Amino acid sequence: MNGYGGQILRVNLSNGQISKEPTPPELAREFVGGRGFGIYFLLKEVPPKADPLGPQNKLIISSGPFSGLMIPGAGKCDWTTKAPLTGGYASASMGGHFTAEMKYAGLDSIILEGISPKPVYLFIDDNKIELRDAAHLWGKGSMVVEKILKDQYGEEFQVAAIGPAGENCVSFAHINHDYGRQAGRGGVGAVMGAKKVKAIVVRGTKSIPVADPEAYRKAGLELFKACKEAEMLKEWTSYGTTIVVSWCDEVGALPTRNFSAGSFEDGKNLYGPVMRQKIVITDKGCFGCPSPCGKYSRVQRYDTYVEGPEYETIGMIGSNLGLKSIEDVAHANYLCDEWGIDTISAGGVIAWAMECYEKGIFTKADTDGLELKFGNAEAVFKLIEKIAKKEGIGALLADGVKRAAQKVGKGSEKWAIHVKGMEQSAYATHNATAMLLAYMTCDVGAHHNRAWAITYDLQVGRERVAPEKVARVIWLQHFRPMFDVLGGCRLQWVELGIDRNLYLPALEAITGIHRTWEDLELVGERIWNLARLYWMREIDGFDRSWDLPAPRFYEEPPTSGATKGQITRFEDVQKLLDVYYEQRGWSPQGHPTPQTLERLGLQSFVN
Amino acid sequence: MSATIRPFGMLREYLRGEKEARVEGGQTVRQALASLGIPPEVVALVLVNDQPQEKDYVLQEGDVVKILAVIGGG
Repeated sequence: MNGYGGQILRVNLSNGQISKEPTPPELAREFVGGRGFGIYFLLKEVPPKADPLGPQNKLIISSGPFSGLMIPGAGKCDWTTKAPLTGGYASASMGGHFTAEMKYAGLDSIILEGISPKPVYLFIDDNKIELRDAAHLWGKGSMVVEKILKDQYGEEFQVAAIGPAGENCVSFAHINHDYGRQAGRGGVGAVMGAKKVKAIVVRGTKSIPVADPEAYRKAGLELFKACKEAEMLKEWTSYGTTIVVSWCDEVGALPTRNFSAGSFEDGKNLYGPVMRQKIVITDKGCFGCPSPCGKYSRVQRYDTYVEGPEYETIGMIGSNLGLKSIEDVAHANYLCDEWGIDTISAGGVIAWAMECYEKGIFTKADTDGLELKFGNAEAVFKLIEKIAKKEGIGALLADGVKRAAQKVGKGSEKWAIHVKGMEQSAYATHNATAMLLAYMTCDVGAHHNRAWAITYDLQVGRERVAPEKVARVIWLQHFRPMFDVLGGCRLQWVELGIDRNLYLPALEAITGIHRTWEDLELVGERIWNLARLYWMREIDGFDRSWDLPAPRFYEEPPTSGATKGQITRFEDVQKLLDVYYEQRGWSPQGHPTPQTLERLGLQSFVN
Repeated sequence: MSATIRPFGMLREYLRGEKEARVEGGQTVRQALASLGIPPEVVALVLVNDQPQEKDYVLQEGDVVKILAVIGGG
């Protein structure tokens, strides 16, 4: 099938059975790939109310039609599962080089099922596919494991591995690849750990068929030419996502001390140019990337190397924990990567614990003797390890901020900053209604990457609650994740500003199917509604209350910075939801109506 | 005394498609942006003669200031 590896690999870990089946052409036509395949298999194959860490849950890894081909940034793959962190939908996108090798091995999806009786890793070398003993890797850090396996098999083999946190089923454990790229959010690493799979090693040498090779070559070159000629190329590549740190600080969006403010008095130490000058040693890109935004850094003080920190980590581990030094943030980033936890959730849950300590709810008796004050970098380093090991206070925090706050009580739920149980990523949204709505309604919980609407807030008036803001959020929720369906990177469009229409002739030349952006946005809308159906299926009583943000954004105005004294009123929060549901064709409780499901052709997914 | 402001990408819309604008020196980048009708808060990065600077930097004769917008985030 043109544009695809052609096969779905199933690995039953319980009995060791490995099988392949052809990728159904109608699946490729209707759901295209990546997270489209993920939600399809999740809904069709994982039984309702399955335990995320039990044998019935599946870990579904999918490439898309762009993956591994000559398209800028075509190194993205999707990891879908039932999320241990939230009990709902997880879909995590990972860059690097993994997906290209997976596709060269002829695989569009890898579905891990069951639970292995002992630690294993999945070895794929084209048609040679085996479960191999991982006893010698168990307990080791994710990057150490990557090095061991690469040394053993060679550079061409790509490795995705979990750290000890994944083995211990920490609810926000991630999967690490390429020494610093992750499938980060929702606890996908805990699912892999529960299945006793330490790593996946993959290499492929097969060709990927394309419908019109000459048109593909031409369209691919046009895309690369547009990237190389983009006037933002040099500056974007120099700083990557850290380009926004200073801007967020200026406009009051930089999470500071558990989102109690949006500007950090020591923020200047964390800005992109400072980081570049102090610790960055080289740029690092994913497969086929013309604009490598990854920054590979060395922290001399701790003698550690790390890819990053990215903006999200600087916000969540830096200003949100009151850390003043980029070296400390980078070292904490390294620890999270090696132990195997998501930096965003780690920053969220540690900030909550620090606030508990500063408010006297925790004493040193609760924190294993740690002085858990904002700004204490040593305490952060120790907590990361404790979380990964589920040791002492780490066991509480390993459940994520929502469950930790429910357990501790004493009003701490008020400063547990999450939506649907997922810790909010690094944009303070006290007075940015479009971005707030984007977090409230994101399909995995409070994550930024589906709809990044905060600039729109600034352009049209940040406190306004207007239908066009809601429409913008909905459009972004369909459009941006489409890159996670196609198996490519959105940043060339988002940051370099290349013409999105350049992708269409490439997609047609590859798959032989003519599609417009409207067609693709409809695929995005179908996926969005299916994810909603999944939440409704898994969580009894799932209603609009699940879309509410942390009270901090409507009850506690920031005490300093650009948004000092500003919050969104609760009635406006509710109004945002009303307008959003109406525009989506959902009921006032946030459920897709039968008419909407019929319009989208999704009736077969109900019941 | 004058300096040149050179917006990138969508920031050009504020100059109605012009590639650059001349501004008086002796004022801050922030003031110069405001005088051109460019809201300083939509500018993510300021490069003066290719070196990162803050918006409070005071413009010198002959400075070339590149300004980049935040387009779409990570």
